[in-house]
Amino acid sequence: MIIVGSLHVIYLAGVATVQDLGRYGYRALGVPVSGALDVLSAAYANALVGNKPNTALIELFGSIILRAGEDTVVAVSGGLPKVFVGRYEVSSWRPIYLKSGVELVIRPSEVGSISYVSVAGGIVCEEVLGSRSTYARGGFGCLGRPLRVGDTLVIRDVDTDRLWSEVCDLRPALKPDNRVPKKHESLIVRATKGVHFEQLPDLDVLLNSEYVITLDSDRMGYRLDGPPLRSASRLGRLPSIPTDRGYVQIPPDGKPIVLMSDAQTTGGYAVALHVIPPDLDILAQARPTQRVRFTEVSVEDAEKHTSKYLSEVERPLLTTAGDEEY
Amino acid sequence: MKNTKLRILSSGGYVIHVDVCSDISLECVEATHKLYYTLKKELSGRIKELVTGIVSLALFYDPREISSNDLIKKVKELWEWSQSVELSHVYKPRSFVIPVSYGGEFGPDLPSVAAWAGLREEEVISIHTSTSYTCYTIGFTPGFIYLGEVDSRIAAPRLETPRIKIPAGSVGIAGKMTGVYGIEGPGGWRLIGRTPLTMFDYRRNPPTPIAPGDLISFKSIPLENFERLEGVFVGDYRG
Repeated sequence: MIIVGSLHVIYLAGVATVQDLGRYGYRALGVPVSGALDVLSAAYANALVGNKPNTALIELFGSIILRAGEDTVVAVSGGLPKVFVGRYEVSSWRPIYLKSGVELVIRPSEVGSISYVSVAGGIVCEEVLGSRSTYARGGFGCLGRPLRVGDTLVIRDVDTDRLWSEVCDLRPALKPDNRVPKKHESLIVRATKGVHFEQLPDLDVLLNSEYVITLDSDRMGYRLDGPPLRSASRLGRLPSIPTDRGYVQIPPDGKPIVLMSDAQTTGGYAVALHVIPPDLDILAQARPTQRVRFTEVSVEDAEKHTSKYLSEVERPLLTTAGDEEY
Repeated sequence: MKNTKLRILSSGGYVIHVDVCSDISLECVEATHKLYYTLKKELSGRIKELVTGIVSLALFYDPREISSNDLIKKVKELWEWSQSVELSHVYKPRSFVIPVSYGGEFGPDLPSVAAWAGLREEEVISIHTSTSYTCYTIGFTPGFIYLGEVDSRIAAPRLETPRIKIPAGSVGIAGKMTGVYGIEGPGGWRLIGRTPLTMFDYRRNPPTPIAPGDLISFKSIPLENFERLEGVFVGDYRG
């Protein structure tokens, strides 16, 4: 018999969905990739509880209170969220032993916008086209909708005490503080030229100006406000091309939209830039009002940074508490 | 081929974008499909994912396994070959019939298309159902099929203001293209009818049997037959 654990949603303010690292292989049929917006944070949250990086976990914009049905091990990563076990504040980005019936409270900090909650064994739910990522607009993947208060998530059973002895000292080798945008500084985002750069003679405007993330941003795209690219209004509608997360689209009003994980698979707006994957994770953590600047990198440099990043996503770099604290 | 000038650009450190043409014509679309199916076969295992636009392609690659320069070289080599053969050499298109209930509540823009065309609604329906269309690509939202080429007499432009919510199965016209919405979503195409068929079913793999290059024709059905066909998967319908 398979014994399963459970995680109950007691309180929720904001939007929480179950995600893994994305649904690849079906974009040719119009299926968006979905998956965690800050991929590296999700991979680390899983690694810290002994899961494979691609295990289903909770992505949270806002605050949540969860209660475990059985003793379990969890970790909370992302943009330096505030984490409490019962009344006691604990650290994010490290394994947490959560006793059955005790509440895990997660609140955003002032710096990042997204938190990831992993649980040892992973969330068990409906896999669609090879992924457990929720694509709410399509109504499929895991619950097919955002979490609601009263939901119970089923957790794959693990030997909690044995697992805890293996993971309790695990720490990320990276410094989470360095990954989040600084509130009072412009976030510098590296990008290569995008598909239509030749058709946008005023691309310099985008590279030399400061933009602000607007409230009108979600898992499909982050909208930026700032100096418009006037050339975009003259381009009109282009033949739809394949698009991806990280594409910086310029609609006719000239204000950039950075596509995120739930973005459409093809689009007819001009693509000015392409944010490189490691920097898209950081941009995803930026909150509305965050100032942003783009800086151009070559394709060769983008390949180098992306290679290193992909290896880290596949195998998050961990150390142990002893190495870190003494 | 005239009009085609291959333009290749890498971006992001993991994507290669290939523009086959800058305008949308059946000839350009077919050139794109020849390249798509050639690359699909020849580069399988060397790239992560291959996606078509209408007259463009994107190759997603792992920069740890292959560099953009090597991949571009490969695409250029295969381009020449792909254009020297017939499409049927690399892909055998399949045919699908899609029953549609035109006008009324399901096709709120049929009157505006008729007005634009200076034709009666029945004439618009008769023109829309009289041709077999090529599936240009599938995209935007899950299972949305872009089809062409629409008879210029009924090629009404998009709506000025897109709708926020369009039901799955809606059939629209946007200039020289017609299309079917696979799932509910936003869109600016002029809606002329709706099919009762399930166009996209995420429980199946693949969730739609239609692929670029396939041939699609529409059949007008009376409203009374709509309910009877509701939920039938497009791949299971034999018109």
